[in-house]
Amino acid sequence: MANLTRLPPVVIDNGTGYTKMGFSTNSEPQFIIPSAIAVKEGVGVKPNRGLDDLDFYIGDEAMNAPGYSVKYPIRHGIVNDWDLMEKYWEQCIFKYLKCEPEDHYFLLTEPPLNTPENREYTAEIMFESFNVPGLYIAVQAVLALAASWTSKSVLEPNLTGVVIDSGDGVTHVIPVADGYVIGSCIKHIPISGRDITYFVQGLLKDREVGIPPEQSLETAKAIKEQYCYVCPDIVKEFTKYDKEPNKWFKKYEGINNITKQIYSVDVGYERFLGPEVFFHPEFSNPDYTESLSYIVDDVIQNCPIDTRRNLYKNIVLSGGSTMFKDFDKRLKLEIKRTVDDRLKQSAELSNNRLKPQPIDVNVVSHHMQRYAVWFGGSLLASTSEFYEKSHTKAEYYEKGPSICRHNAVFGVMA
Amino acid sequence: MDRFRMILLEVHNRAIYEALCLRFEAAVKNQKPESTKLIIADFDGIIYHLSNPNDDRTKLCLSILLHFYKDLKEHGADELLKREYGSYLIDTPEADYSVSLLFDLTNIPEDWKDLAMKASLLKRNCFASVFEKYFEFQRTGETGHKTAVIHYRSDETLFVRALEDRVTVIFSTTFKGEDDIILGKVFMQEFSETRRKYQQAPQVLFSYKNPPAELNDTNAIVGENRGYVTFVLQPRHITKQASDNTINMISMFRNYLHYHLKCSKAHMHQRMRSKTNDFLKVLNRAKPESKTKPEDRKNIHGKIMRQTP
Repeated sequence: MANLTRLPPVVIDNGTGYTKMGFSTNSEPQFIIPSAIAVKEGVGVKPNRGLDDLDFYIGDEAMNAPGYSVKYPIRHGIVNDWDLMEKYWEQCIFKYLKCEPEDHYFLLTEPPLNTPENREYTAEIMFESFNVPGLYIAVQAVLALAASWTSKSVLEPNLTGVVIDSGDGVTHVIPVADGYVIGSCIKHIPISGRDITYFVQGLLKDREVGIPPEQSLETAKAIKEQYCYVCPDIVKEFTKYDKEPNKWFKKYEGINNITKQIYSVDVGYERFLGPEVFFHPEFSNPDYTESLSYIVDDVIQNCPIDTRRNLYKNIVLSGGSTMFKDFDKRLKLEIKRTVDDRLKQSAELSNNRLKPQPIDVNVVSHHMQRYAVWFGGSLLASTSEFYEKSHTKAEYYEKGPSICRHNAVFGVMA
Repeated sequence: MDRFRMILLEVHNRAIYEALCLRFEAAVKNQKPESTKLIIADFDGIIYHLSNPNDDRTKLCLSILLHFYKDLKEHGADELLKREYGSYLIDTPEADYSVSLLFDLTNIPEDWKDLAMKASLLKRNCFASVFEKYFEFQRTGETGHKTAVIHYRSDETLFVRALEDRVTVIFSTTFKGEDDIILGKVFMQEFSETRRKYQQAPQVLFSYKNPPAELNDTNAIVGENRGYVTFVLQPRHITKQASDNTINMISMFRNYLHYHLKCSKAHMHQRMRSKTNDFLKVLNRAKPESKTKPEDRKNIHGKIMRQTP
């Protein structure tokens, strides 16, 4: 039974593309809307009259508001227009969540390497405009780690691990030790959901003729989401498909938006070739050849030596593009191979006199992957420790916005 | 009306509506029902709980917790809910909650969207009872009933009173923070001022610190950060046709007020930011050109010599 004497904290995860928001203790966010805001051009520059400052839309409504210009206040995870962000939050809180901000604690998220000044701006808006009683700003990667505690393969909750966060735009590999991001070792990979969609689209374009051109991206996306999976070995997979085509080839049916006629598409090798882009990026981007598993290994090798074993032990997936079936198994296999090779090499160098202890590699996959960050926030905000670690309004007025520069890690640490 | 969509808040709870629609639609399409457990808050400290009673996935139970439900009960909330929700309402609400509705996912009507909308208006309908009752009193000329007192938040109260020619609705509201007090005051003055332009709008009175004279017989609190807003509803506002809209507006008023306070603060911050940027530009222009550093002198060996300060 939830604690009914206190209203549930509000968790808002503002991402570059989508904003996830809801009340803590729930396992899924109540709203997932584009982080877009539609404003009348010129507002804010000239002195406003009347209701101009309220004349804007957010989320999906922003997308179909004629006569407005659509803006994205968040770029690469970092807020770059605070005026718009403040307005965006106004509607998030009052129109979508319908809650009185004075009654709820708030948990907001930030990307790794966010500037302390940005935290101060956030605190200023939250405490001064919205009068929130308490605020905590959490790092997205840490929340993703917390979300993985629901997985069966995690034996004890801890905040050390590598987070692979792959959304629509970009993939990050972020090492976290005891709840602190090792900022110098973060790596980005220019391969993500969108690239897979384009790759699938390309394969379909070469082969299928029935798809209406203006719907080809949409079709590719639907096929990617419904049929794609990760295979352990491409060559074997090809022979498997050739032997039993009936079993493996699928049919996708779509409806033409204009003629309303049904068209059907054969779905074949792209089922496993799509996600393969992560492991062989040269498929879609000839300039980039480093596979995801190589990058993960490289990131861990760059980290302080005493954290490496623990990082290998806890590689956590987050974001929609890591949802492919068996993604975790394949990644584990590849990383394990690299690690074992390295150990063998070092054993050979010592003429087998030194037997290195084998390194445990574990990739954690769980149900909440798509909204891992939000879910982790919801999980942490429902603990009683959250209230202790949050910055309160009284503290803010006593010391000023600088208190939000640091947000204490909590969850499992003693 | 559409022009004002952005300033008014919706009466129904959007999260509840979307959650119900999703589940009803799945049920209508005969998809396997998923287990549900949601806790959603609303204004005025209200908590909704959407769950499967006894882990039965084909049933969906929507409960609402209003801390002041006993106040509403005195004014016939139960009857009104019975009228609105009929067989969906269950007699004994879920433990810890005030009202529960039960939906059978195996038997969802065709117009499930309307049903979801109706359910998401649960809070509004709970509130409506007291207004409907007092509107009725006024219509039938039954005056002399004592003022209805609803403690809709821990420190804020709503009073409804029926008189011969009008119904008065009085809100007490607390402003947190000094800025809010002042903004609230200005806002309310503007609000009463603007009203004069609209003949058909109800009269609005605003008093600050002290409760209006009507409340002398109640234990209304006097305080620095309190505001009392009085709406005088004329009979034309509470006719059968108009009353629904009146209730919608009135029951959202408090949140509407606070929403706009926050928005005006945000707007002022925005103005302040743009002013700061302008000033910074001026300052930067006024900065004297930094003098170019004197060239480093080298000695005969080619080493740079620096004067020690």
